[in-house]
Amino acid sequence: MKIPQNLERRLFLKQGLSLGALTLLSGCDVTNADAVQQVLSAMSRWNDGAQGWLFNPTKLAREYPESAITKPFPFNAFYTKEEAPQIDPQSYRLELSGLIGERRAWSLPELYALPQTSQITRHICVEGWSAIGKWGGVRFSTFLERVGADRTAKFVGFRCADDYYTSIDMATALHPQTLLTFRFGGELLPVEYGFPMKLRMPTKLGFKNPKHIAAIFVTNMYPGGYWEDQGYNWFSGS
Amino acid sequence: MRLLIAMLSCLALVAGAAEPMRPDMPMKGEMKKDGMKRGDVKKAAQKKQREMKEMMEREAKGKFR
Repeated sequence: MKIPQNLERRLFLKQGLSLGALTLLSGCDVTNADAVQQVLSAMSRWNDGAQGWLFNPTKLAREYPESAITKPFPFNAFYTKEEAPQIDPQSYRLELSGLIGERRAWSLPELYALPQTSQITRHICVEGWSAIGKWGGVRFSTFLERVGADRTAKFVGFRCADDYYTSIDMATALHPQTLLTFRFGGELLPVEYGFPMKLRMPTKLGFKNPKHIAAIFVTNMYPGGYWEDQGYNWFSGS
Repeated sequence: MRLLIAMLSCLALVAGAAEPMRPDMPMKGEMKKDGMKRGDVKKAAQKKQREMKEMMEREAKGKFR
């Protein structure tokens, strides 16, 4: 007896749904399995690749008038505001390593002497809130060029005085709105917002914007990041 | 007496707020997962730096001799 084609299709869909339901029922065990985590990580890395491929290095994020600035600008970190690291501006030195031609440490006066610009852009947090602020500093592309960084390398990594670490793709590092910032709201960058410097990227989520930067490195080896290594998407940008 | 208790409670709250976070205290913020502690970031950073250091030095030597 010949089974009608639409019945076979119905059976296939039914079995498919049953398999899906079984997966959901046993969800706790499945999601804890290393193999599943590996698959999810691989999918996230594939997602990074797709986002990188779609990223337009010349498309600018929206900029806002001074009247749109959020006051007060929210503080957000894995510690309290009082615990933001206190850094001595006199002894501070920015360390450079990796694929950089001139790997000497930079003092703050040297960094402040670089050509400065500013932007009023929206900071978007993965937690679901956003706020508009004004940041001032040097274009990161200018800094990378000045220190002889290999701008064909894949990644730029950051180590911070509060122990946080993250990394970004070179295309975003060279984006015209990616700034190494020293000022906020026209004033010296306050401690709670990342003194002495914060990397500001309006094209990426907030957790990709490191504060209290102590060291920068350029590499072709995937450096990950604190939240990224916990499963948050690495590219996290547009 | 009630006023004194209220004042002491306020003082205790202020003192508690100013107390630095210990590494074993729960992390602040909404990004954390259950069980994450303040000191986890430092431990992860040290581990990452150990992993990356040697490889990066080799990489840099190959590129900039």
